[in-house]
Amino acid sequence: MEFKDYYDTLGVPRDATAADIKKAFRKLARKYHPDVSKEKDADARMKEINEANAVLSDPEKRAAYDRLGRSYRPGQDFQPPPDWQGGFDGADHGFSDAEAAHFSDFFTKIFGAGAGPRPRGAGSRQREFHGRGEDHHAQVMLDLEETFRGATRKISLRVPSIDPQGRIALEMKTLNVQIPKGIRDGQVVRLAGQGGPGFGDGPAGDLLLEVHFSPHPRFHVDGRDVHLTLPVTPWEAALGGVVPVTTVDGSQLNVRIPEGAQSGRQLRVRGMGIPSDPPGDLRLTLQVVLPPASNPRARELYEAMSRDLAFDPRTGQEV
Amino acid sequence: MRDEPLSVVVLDDAFLTAAQMASACAVHVDWVTGHVDDGVLTVTAVVGAEWLFSVRDLQRARRIRQLERDFDAGPELAALVADLLEEIGTLRTRLRVAGLV
Repeated sequence: MEFKDYYDTLGVPRDATAADIKKAFRKLARKYHPDVSKEKDADARMKEINEANAVLSDPEKRAAYDRLGRSYRPGQDFQPPPDWQGGFDGADHGFSDAEAAHFSDFFTKIFGAGAGPRPRGAGSRQREFHGRGEDHHAQVMLDLEETFRGATRKISLRVPSIDPQGRIALEMKTLNVQIPKGIRDGQVVRLAGQGGPGFGDGPAGDLLLEVHFSPHPRFHVDGRDVHLTLPVTPWEAALGGVVPVTTVDGSQLNVRIPEGAQSGRQLRVRGMGIPSDPPGDLRLTLQVVLPPASNPRARELYEAMSRDLAFDPRTGQEV
Repeated sequence: MRDEPLSVVVLDDAFLTAAQMASACAVHVDWVTGHVDDGVLTVTAVVGAEWLFSVRDLQRARRIRQLERDFDAGPELAALVADLLEEIGTLRTRLRVAGLV
């Protein structure tokens, strides 16, 4: 396990004041906050920044970290001293155990997995307290096709658990989860009893999974509706016609293009969107694609249209 | 690991109580009630004396809480940022649907 230099993570000197640390954290949080950041590694960086801030903004944790870190360089192999007390009782930083579970092994080795706050009123290690465990949150990415047929997903989580001696440790937990057909982007599913362990005789919390779809090369989703740009020929648009469309689940539809359709016109196929209750629609946006005038016959046809059709798409745009 | 898949409850139409909302946000229930009293969070339904929240309320509350924590933001500022982020998300969806991104 490598030694982590939290000062380096926040870009502050080792003698930085609490105000310097807060300022540095906010600056980096603005840059890497997953809600706004365009950086590819924003999520990972934000976790590192949160972890560094959780330690350096807490005087007790910072002092302990400084004591341990005196003889280490960043990246150097690190092992806490044998007499080091894990399961550090730090102050409440607004991080739950569920969030602290995202912190590194390095953090866990020094401060223990239970360095987040205890349930309100529980005290730090009051064994007689009985309370419901924390709800845990996670995100799961699905392919759009999976909502059309339902999906079973293996989800691995790092979760705090309580061993027979009552100590809190992090462990990997893999769950086999049935994602129901018709689930929509942004929906949350609850797995009862799969969250944090209860305290005393209290029940375990729940796991809340937020579902999102991976970007699809052809389809876009908006709520229950599925959108597809449908290329059509000029004669299909002008004269009307029936064109085949392959839907998300691979089935074929024949869609009637109305006569005189223009690029950008939307057609709706009812009930062919997300198979929720009620089902969404498939929305087709027509895109008229011109054949290239790349051979004499094509040029001849375009020239005939130019000559014979009294058509000016800019009519009415004159200033 | 269990081989049999765990069944789930979709929270779309299920409402959460203030206590469930607090638990899901890892905050004290006073945080939820205080933010409702201040108009930062909204209640989707009231049944008897019980406030009920939707999943959308939950997602907004979690975002507000994260903004408050990460930036030491006041509730009103965090709510404003949450609203703007939601608006950006809606506009980005419209751009994707229009094939512009």
